[in-house]
Amino acid sequence: MSALAGNRFPRSGYVTRSSSSGLADVLDVLLDKGLVIDIFLRVSLVGIELLTVDARIVIASVDTYLRFAEAVNRLDIGESSSEGLPDLIEDMTQDGASSKTKGVLEGAKESLFGSSGDDDNDSDDDDSSSRSRSRSSSRSRSRSSSRGR
Amino acid sequence: MPTYVYGIVESTARAPKASGIGGAPLAVVAGDGAAALVSDLPDREVHMGRDEVLMHAEVLDQALAQGTVLPMRFGVVMDGSDDVRRELLERHSEDLRSQLSELAGKVEVNVRAVYEEDVVLREAVSEEPEIARLREAVRDRSEDASYYERIRLGELVAQAMERKRERDAQAIIDLLAPETLAVDVGVPAHERVVVSASFLVARARLDAFDGLLEAVARDQFGRIRFKLTGPRPPHSFVELGGGA
Repeated sequence: MSALAGNRFPRSGYVTRSSSSGLADVLDVLLDKGLVIDIFLRVSLVGIELLTVDARIVIASVDTYLRFAEAVNRLDIGESSSEGLPDLIEDMTQDGASSKTKGVLEGAKESLFGSSGDDDNDSDDDDSSSRSRSRSSSRSRSRSSSRGR
Repeated sequence: MPTYVYGIVESTARAPKASGIGGAPLAVVAGDGAAALVSDLPDREVHMGRDEVLMHAEVLDQALAQGTVLPMRFGVVMDGSDDVRRELLERHSEDLRSQLSELAGKVEVNVRAVYEEDVVLREAVSEEPEIARLREAVRDRSEDASYYERIRLGELVAQAMERKRERDAQAIIDLLAPETLAVDVGVPAHERVVVSASFLVARARLDAFDGLLEAVARDQFGRIRFKLTGPRPPHSFVELGGGA
């Protein structure tokens, strides 16, 4: 794959990187995005699995729920020291990168644990209302975009 | 003669040296202010499959290395150079010219963030008393006896995950915002995907964007893993309105 001179990403740290050489990487974007015009002879897409388009719609179902139930049952519940991203924003604006070794009690600045009431209130994220992301039912998602033009 | 169109380039651009689909040489059909990157197809039925998609992507990558390119969707075939010139370049001349200008020096990258499932499931159990309660309730019972409770448990977990997904996805996008010119958010492929989005970034700011992403990935290590793809031409940020 050709590289853009002077624009190679540094060797990977925590992020997995790939140039778009894999079929999975390019398939969605080439089939679904890009310029199209009304008058053209469209070649039929012989031999291409178009299932990727359908598979992208996440539809909650009983199977999904049973799978989740099984997954939580299998969990070995101990203490979790992970910190959610909304906390991360606050950490990064105040102190720079936060340490991931903070424990549950020490690290929880916001109400990450034990305040399920806050989950109903998205106004914690100031930008969520200004993004033009459409929400249909809880059972399907639709594509949205915000353009910088 | 069928003409396969890969993308739109500047009218001064030259065709990359590589061959196109079917081994045909690439050519540039010039219009006024924009040009089309094309190759001839044999005048018969052509198989268009995975190899051809990869070839199209490769041609676009080579064009991107040389300058601005507005990618065509896969499978756009026109009826010869005159058709390309008339129906594509002249009909959409203003639009193509303005997009070439607007997207000069800008590239697309895709970021895909996926949860480490066990970690977020533990969060859901510890954050939601009802989930913890139901989990205890179904633990020692047979699958038949607890069928409906398990569905309810799974549904609560799915909803908790969805709330996390929305918050975390927005947080990731916000953290990348300083180096983002535009973002196109995709539909998640499965429940563990936090967000999959294409970002329009200035070429000169790719390292800075990468730095922002690295910082998020480092802090979320063990909870969310990140994959960055690209840079690639701006597939998600081009659009053609109706012709004049």
